[in-house]
Amino acid sequence: MLLEVMNIRKTYGKVVAVEDVSFSIGRGEVFGLLGENGAGKTTTIKMLSTLATPDSGRILLNGRDIRKYRRETRKSIAVVSQDMNLGYELSVFEVLYIYALLRGIRNSKKLIDETIAKMGMTEKRNSKVGTLSGGQKRRVMAARAMLSGAELIFMDEPTIGLDPAVRREMWDIIRQMQADGRSILLTTHYTDEAEYLCGRVAIMEKGRIVSMDTPQSLIDCAGAFAVDINSRTLLFRDNDAADDYIAKESLTGHRVRRTKLDDVLVSSIGRAV
Amino acid sequence: MTEALMGTYAVFYREMLIFKYKLMRLGYVFYSVSTPILYLLAFGLGFGSRVQIPDYGAFLIQGIVCMSSMTNSFNMVSVSVGMGRLHSGEFQTVLTSPVKASAIMRGLVLSGVVRGLFASTMILLAGLFVFHVFPFTFVAFVALVLNTAFFSAAGVIIGVVIDDMENHAVLTNFIIMPMAFFSGTFYPVDFLPHWLQKLVWLLPLSHANKLIRAGELNAETLPSFILLLGLTAVCFTAGTFMLNRYNE
Repeated sequence: MLLEVMNIRKTYGKVVAVEDVSFSIGRGEVFGLLGENGAGKTTTIKMLSTLATPDSGRILLNGRDIRKYRRETRKSIAVVSQDMNLGYELSVFEVLYIYALLRGIRNSKKLIDETIAKMGMTEKRNSKVGTLSGGQKRRVMAARAMLSGAELIFMDEPTIGLDPAVRREMWDIIRQMQADGRSILLTTHYTDEAEYLCGRVAIMEKGRIVSMDTPQSLIDCAGAFAVDINSRTLLFRDNDAADDYIAKESLTGHRVRRTKLDDVLVSSIGRAV
Repeated sequence: MTEALMGTYAVFYREMLIFKYKLMRLGYVFYSVSTPILYLLAFGLGFGSRVQIPDYGAFLIQGIVCMSSMTNSFNMVSVSVGMGRLHSGEFQTVLTSPVKASAIMRGLVLSGVVRGLFASTMILLAGLFVFHVFPFTFVAFVALVLNTAFFSAAGVIIGVVIDDMENHAVLTNFIIMPMAFFSGTFYPVDFLPHWLQKLVWLLPLSHANKLIRAGELNAETLPSFILLLGLTAVCFTAGTFMLNRYNE
């Protein structure tokens, strides 16, 4: 395993932000953390990326405790944060050049230009970040992670606020990173994104992981068939069970369909996200 | 270049790029030096001939140069770190990179020194224009470097500890501004009541003012130099320690 997270806990005063969270990420895996705002996803990423120290529990990267091997950990990770943390006055090239210096990458100019080209941003190379669209800024952030050479990339809601077409472009970039052999921890609100990208997902609620498996296993476990009744959705293990329920309750105006990860998330945390 | 030097250069280069772009907006230059130049004109032209201080124009220029070096280096660094940490999240990008805390500290302090020296130069030029004097020596330059380094290092510490940018304004109003007014910027510390003088000599800006005006290192000014050097080292070490132990 590349990353092993064991029973981590983090509190802020009396507020328990993360409680007894454990999971692992393999090499080349895209692992998803799903949950509503305040579920503890960002705090988890902060602990994994060495920005926050857990109150208890252990985090191992390549078998080494990240608290003891901070610099080595930081060499192996990159963070694509929720904030557009690029520096609005700087150009795309400058942002990447400074990041390359921070990562200790020598003679980086050619590599930066290649990365910019890979992101389809060549014409924006010298544009100020402040003049870019939301999608372009996200691509620059992804370019930074790609440039880093990190084996584990934390992506905290990388598609939040993007329109559907640009979201799909980001999905392609994430897939490309995975194809390059990177492991990715992805937090997201979007279940379609998690379903498309993640090999496994963990659903978080109130700082805890309430379920964790492959998207399809989570769906099968919760019930592969969904019955929508007004704004409510009930999950059933198969079509017959759904039909029996409909007949028994004499339901009308309902809809039967295949369960989606969205339904699992709603049923796991007990309310719509 | 070693990795540590690359890290220092990355932090310094980023700050300098942002500084360059700000300088290209003339409003920024005006904003950063307008208040000290206003002090220079108001105190120099208003009190100049009435104050019992020989060559008050030169005295005032030296004091305001020292004050501007303090406010510019402190504000620029603390705002950059504070805003980058609390609002844009840019500082977290630096913290999660493999750069050593001491290298980050070096880059930030260097950038604060450059900004402080830039503001000082502007005041010196304004003083030359208004009072036709240029009261500056090599020792004054060394004192300015130390002063800006100390306040830049203090700026890093404040930028790391504040949890709201409003706290930054409070700190500036209650610590930096009183220091500017009581540490010998506009009049000698000797003019103050005896009990207050004792307090004022605890402030680093008083020693920077003393050094800048002395023009040479001698038995009287050497303690101020050593004190300023020591305080800078302490602040630098404390800032490095805090960056090392950074925990959100």
